[in-house]
Amino acid sequence: MSKTLSICPFCGCGCNFYLVTKDQRVIGVEPSPKNPINKGMLCVKGWNAYEFINSPQRLDHPLIRKGDSLVPATWEEALKYVADRLNAIKSKYGPHSLGFLSSAKATNEENYLFMKMARAVFKTNNVDHCARL
Amino acid sequence: MAGLAATFGSGAMTNSISEFDEADLFFVIGSNTTAQHPLIGSRIIKACQRGAKLILVDPRQIQLASFATMHLRHNIGTDVALINGMMNVIISEGLYDKEFVEKRTEDFEGLESVVKKYTPRVVERISGIDANQIEEAARMYAGTKKAMILYAMGITQHATGTDNVKSCANLAMLTGHVGRPSTGVNPLRGQNNVQGACDMGALPNVFSGYQKVTDTNVRKKFEDAWGVDKLDDKVGMTVTDMIKAAQKGELKALYIMGENPMMSDPDSSHVELALSNLDFLVVQDIFLSETAKMADVVLPAVSFAEKDGTYTNTERRVQLSKKAINPLGSARADWEIICEVSRLAGYPMNYACPSEIMHEINMLTPSYGGITYARLEDSWGIQWPCPDKAHPGTGYLHKDKFAKGLGTFMPCEFKPLAEVPDDEYDFLLTTGRIYYHYHTGTMTRRISTLEREAPWSFIEINPADANRIGIRQNDLVEVTSRRGSIKARAEVTPRVPPRVVFSTFHFHEASINLLTNPVYDPVAKIPEYKGCAVKIRRCA
Amino acid sequence: MKSIDKKDVIDMLKDWTNEYHVLCPNKKINDDCIFDGFEQDHFTLDYGKLSFCLKSAFFPQSEIIFEVEDNQYHEVISSEKTILFGIRACDMMGILQSSSFMSRDYGDVYYSAKDDATIKVVMACPGPQNETCFCTTTNSGPFAEKGFDLQFFDMGEEFLVEVGSKKGKELISGELFTDIDSGDAKGKIAAFKKKASEAIPKVDEIKSVMEMLKNGVVEDEEWEEFGQKCIACGGCAFVCPTCTCFNVYDLARDGSGMRVRGWDTCLYGGFTREASMHNPRPTQGSRLKRRYEHKLKDYNEQDLQGGLCTCVGCGRCSDVCPVDIGILNLVLAISRDYKSG
Repeated sequence: MSKTLSICPFCGCGCNFYLVTKDQRVIGVEPSPKNPINKGMLCVKGWNAYEFINSPQRLDHPLIRKGDSLVPATWEEALKYVADRLNAIKSKYGPHSLGFLSSAKATNEENYLFMKMARAVFKTNNVDHCARL
Repeated sequence: MAGLAATFGSGAMTNSISEFDEADLFFVIGSNTTAQHPLIGSRIIKACQRGAKLILVDPRQIQLASFATMHLRHNIGTDVALINGMMNVIISEGLYDKEFVEKRTEDFEGLESVVKKYTPRVVERISGIDANQIEEAARMYAGTKKAMILYAMGITQHATGTDNVKSCANLAMLTGHVGRPSTGVNPLRGQNNVQGACDMGALPNVFSGYQKVTDTNVRKKFEDAWGVDKLDDKVGMTVTDMIKAAQKGELKALYIMGENPMMSDPDSSHVELALSNLDFLVVQDIFLSETAKMADVVLPAVSFAEKDGTYTNTERRVQLSKKAINPLGSARADWEIICEVSRLAGYPMNYACPSEIMHEINMLTPSYGGITYARLEDSWGIQWPCPDKAHPGTGYLHKDKFAKGLGTFMPCEFKPLAEVPDDEYDFLLTTGRIYYHYHTGTMTRRISTLEREAPWSFIEINPADANRIGIRQNDLVEVTSRRGSIKARAEVTPRVPPRVVFSTFHFHEASINLLTNPVYDPVAKIPEYKGCAVKIRRCA
Repeated sequence: MKSIDKKDVIDMLKDWTNEYHVLCPNKKINDDCIFDGFEQDHFTLDYGKLSFCLKSAFFPQSEIIFEVEDNQYHEVISSEKTILFGIRACDMMGILQSSSFMSRDYGDVYYSAKDDATIKVVMACPGPQNETCFCTTTNSGPFAEKGFDLQFFDMGEEFLVEVGSKKGKELISGELFTDIDSGDAKGKIAAFKKKASEAIPKVDEIKSVMEMLKNGVVEDEEWEEFGQKCIACGGCAFVCPTCTCFNVYDLARDGSGMRVRGWDTCLYGGFTREASMHNPRPTQGSRLKRRYEHKLKDYNEQDLQGGLCTCVGCGRCSDVCPVDIGILNLVLAISRDYKSG
């Protein structure tokens, strides 16, 4: 069993808790006692924030659409397909035919890179996220 | 956030969570705080118990109502009128902070001339709040030095959302309740990293740190740093614009990372049409969400537990979250996937770890200049602005001057809801979250205990209405708007006022956004989730 | 009787890690103190009362109890040789009561497997660890009377070590420990205990409220007043040394899967909601009443291991409550409101 300091993903409060892990499973949470936001306390979502992480429904490999269904693919295939299709659409219709929706649930670093990808790689400012929703 | 940026120069929570403990008054408007931000809501309850005052403006009888000094259950969508009414009283009774208004703000005359019309009598007719109560609330707020305004999506999710926010800012400036501890205008951010996504420039008009894409010097800086030329110089499309453009066939491809617009956007049927009209849809997520099911490619990402990274909370505090377990299956962190896609598209991105990305953010983003991993690992996070490594971070904004210099009064006229009930659609539907679930439920509905606590969608309806239509507790009812229809169980409760029904968007089985009205605030492009006309009937 | 120099405690723990998983107080960033696996750089003796009571060592927040693979079922009873170093007397009383409860009627094999594999080392408290301690009122501290394998008494430069079991005795047979005169040590310990007990504040209202609850004089309105501010987080139950309620759920995909049991609490509405949707405890006040009557009234005829009730006086429910409910405020309010009647 070990404990790793983390931030609750379930609202903008940003409560600090330790993720309790055993054999690569997150088995519980423990609020951080001294941090200035939640001071050792949590709400119902925070106390229960561990189960979905190891959900059997988690996606564990890439999927590519073949007709009506999504079929498993390798990372190499999937990533190349994404890059090639985006490049092709950009060449044919211009950068403004592409849109990028970033995530209010992803990290700062990921949001930064995502907007960098939209702007530096695909040359469009069509990048937004769901803050409004 | 556009409203706060326009009036103050910065679109973020002005003060800090710990300052709640010292405040003497809370003006809470459009926030069910104990349900949506429970560890902030609990501070408000504790403050009330030590004698702090609470003015709650909310049509619903939410948990905070039991602790409110005054609970103003105004008509939905009349926030601007109500706040104008309060400002009318504050000006006419000379309760405003004349020194603050003179030294720190501009365009007071403009405000004065608009709010003049909103006498308590006039506002009573619009908002349904008794004129005496408007006067009392105005005096109470103006007369308390340490008074904090708090709002959430109840203010912003209106076609007049920007006006609502500006009105809150006007009220704070008028009384000088900003730029000091335990005061200010405090939007509570709903998702764990909305603040960070905005700060990082995941917006069509700005790079990280709100640096404008239309500014040549800014673009030059990013072009140099990124080693590219000719960055796009025009403001891009917002999410709502993109959906429309996809419908029209102008947007051909959409790459969605960790969002579920099929559930979260208004008028879902149109969103589905728009997404299926795309040539290419990429969805990167941890679950096969309703949106991912429509994708051409689905890329499996990891959860927060499987990666290092920082998140910025509602009080601008950047905090480090550490990797606790290895990725499940072959899933990869979002940042790793982005690097790979970029590389294969012809632009190498070489980062060994998130701290290297943060280093680049530090260099290019003035407000994050001093927020390094080394400092974060040794602290409880740092609140931006933090321009350099020696800077301690900023607990409250606008101390001696506003971010934009002088604060600008931006008076707003009251505009009614875009869609009001009529003879056929005779109820007003308002939507929100419940305590037990988060956003579209992809995570919380996979937590057995939370799912047990709130397993199904429900429609709150007032007992008087329920009696009239013949609806009993837990009856299955059908709610229909001009855009769609859903079925859900009735919860008969005085929590909602007569002629209003409430529901949530957490449940894909009864996706409330099939019903909501896709009219948007013209500036912030936020949809009007908080009010649309519906009819309701008991299912046979 | 044996003693150990404080400066040798780290070496002692290092020794123990050769054979055991050692859980002990660790100081993380910015003085954040929690129980975690022994790490020399983080270990601390300056930890007061930790907000978690370590019942998770026997009763994890969630654990797999069986797995199914290709239609084959196999039970998972996990245990690991573990030492809990530095638990408090209130924690020890919690473990005793919970172990007794979990072995009654149908023995809980998942709990007892871990209980049996765990060595308990109590650190006697020299006084209250924060303002919510009241263990002398509930007969559960500030030192343990039984159940421990070892009990440490802080004498300044050294610890005196009381042996409670054979396993404990074996643990301190190494050269880090010094034999000392038993009579002398007993005197020192007796003085320590006397001073410590006197330093812990008595909360006489606990007993009077127990009597009121037994006599049924406390009306529902009293509970509903607290129910109004309760945000139903469940924290009070999760940190409580004697709360052992759990829920079971299945995680399955493509014919494989597992059954997991995880912490649950009577403070959650769904805990008692029936299939008809009727809920015998329909309000948050009624749920608070249930939980605190359980601690102060319902189990007092059961095997309490020498304690006063199933509350062990640790005060953690008061510490963890976001809206200041907790047993202390509840008891003080009830006592105040019903004093005359």
